[in-house]
Amino acid sequence: MNMMPQALQKKVCVLGGFSVGKTSLIRRYVESIFSESYITTVGVKIDKKTLDLAGRLVSLILWDVAGEDDMASFRMTYLRGAAGYLLVADGTRPATLDVALSLRERVEAACGPLPCALLVNKNDLTEEWTISGTDLEGLRQKGWWVRPTSARTGEGVEDAFKDLAVRVSS
Amino acid sequence: MDELPASVARRLQALIYGERAGAWLQIDGALVLVAAGGYLDAYGLTALRPGEPVLPQALFLEGLLPPVETEFFLPSVELANGRAADLHLHLDGDTIWVILLEMTAERDAVRRVQQKAYDMTLLQEREARLNRQLEAANAALRAAQRELEVSHEQVRAQAAELAAWNRTLEERVATQIDEIERIGRLKRFLAPALAEAIVSSGNERILESHRRDIAALFCDLRGFTSFAENAEPEEVMELLHDYHGRLVPLIQASEGTLDRFVGDGMIVYFNDPLPCPNPAERAVQLAVAMREAMVLLGATWRRRGHQIGFGVGIAQGFATLGQVGFEGRFDYSAVGTVINTAARLCEAAKDGQILVTSRIAVAVSNAADITEIGQLSFKGLSRPLAVSNVAALKVA
Repeated sequence: MNMMPQALQKKVCVLGGFSVGKTSLIRRYVESIFSESYITTVGVKIDKKTLDLAGRLVSLILWDVAGEDDMASFRMTYLRGAAGYLLVADGTRPATLDVALSLRERVEAACGPLPCALLVNKNDLTEEWTISGTDLEGLRQKGWWVRPTSARTGEGVEDAFKDLAVRVSS
Repeated sequence: MDELPASVARRLQALIYGERAGAWLQIDGALVLVAAGGYLDAYGLTALRPGEPVLPQALFLEGLLPPVETEFFLPSVELANGRAADLHLHLDGDTIWVILLEMTAERDAVRRVQQKAYDMTLLQEREARLNRQLEAANAALRAAQRELEVSHEQVRAQAAELAAWNRTLEERVATQIDEIERIGRLKRFLAPALAEAIVSSGNERILESHRRDIAALFCDLRGFTSFAENAEPEEVMELLHDYHGRLVPLIQASEGTLDRFVGDGMIVYFNDPLPCPNPAERAVQLAVAMREAMVLLGATWRRRGHQIGFGVGIAQGFATLGQVGFEGRFDYSAVGTVINTAARLCEAAKDGQILVTSRIAVAVSNAADITEIGQLSFKGLSRPLAVSNVAALKVA
């Protein structure tokens, strides 16, 4: 007989422009693996990660939603029933921050306010970053949760997902 | 919609259900799995447990149940085994039906096209970024080059300024060297202060040939010829060195013009090239000073066994004066009877005598005690001269 306590399941979407590292972040988080090769996601890819939050098990059902170049084609139906979401931008490509800001507006319009965080990825390439610290500080002052991350090194990844898990399960 | 003929319905079922790996789940209103069927293995749904809650068994349904609409569609959902399916949900009364139709091949086809498009876009973005970096580097390089050009221009201007300064300095040095050389030449026959005054005034025309009334002093040693015949040359040179060393400073102090040395003889004159008051008196004062100096020097020589005396002749009159010689070797010299007269008087003077003409004697009568000697005839002079001896200077 299965004596494992039932985990609380929460759907969390990971959104952002293409090639910002959404799949890599999830893979780093779920499998502790990073691959240099870029393989684009089509549609959505679903993974699961169970966390122990002070004795309370929470399973994050992670929806890795394809980052589309054309925002108009983004399918909001993928967000149906999401408890929270992570927005991902690439620190070396300032246009991806604009995509993230636009996505947040659209998600809030469609789903209302949900727990979310902005992950500014590729923190291992800070010398190539073109997103300014001033811009990020401005977002923080507006109440955004902004986390620098690196899927390559794992920096900030675990904490970012855990932060969101706490917020969606509380 | 018209009912499908049974054959068509069977064929369609075969096409869709078989070729797209159709699978289905039946879920009740309490979200409990009632039944499941079809190609469940294709989606990793191998251990479904009817009668139990469906969400822990089918994670992809989390958040989707119960459906809001009677029909709901999600395209291209990749499940845990990597295969992708289109997800169809519909309500039939209280029953929720979930249908999965595989679209892995279509997903992969789209992925190939999309991958190329995104790779191209990333390359373009990278190229644009590199171009921006290149432009920034170029701009920095151009700015550095401009700065370098400005620096170079400054250095060139400074070099030109330095060269100008150098030229000025060289000109000044040349001028000063020329001045020093001219002073050096003049010092040979003028008192140093007088030579510097002439050079600094720039008026060296006074050295050109001219006539002037001068007091000429001629002096030499008595017994020097016989001494020179018997002594070693080194001894002669040493004696002359002492003699000149003692008298020349007196000449310079008196601002007299030293014409030249002639063996043990010296010719000095006053009132030329710069005029001076009382040239006769100055000449006599110098002669007395010389005689006093020679008393001491003569005693020294006598102790060495040399019987050498000292005589002076002084005359006044017009002479022609100026630079004589050629480039590299100039002297300032006087030509005229007054010079001959002074020379003859000197020749006639005994040791310690300062023989002067009557004109000199009259001119210095208030300043010196004069003893008349008488009329003397001299070789080269047509008439006898009234000659006097300067005994001493009067005490002021």
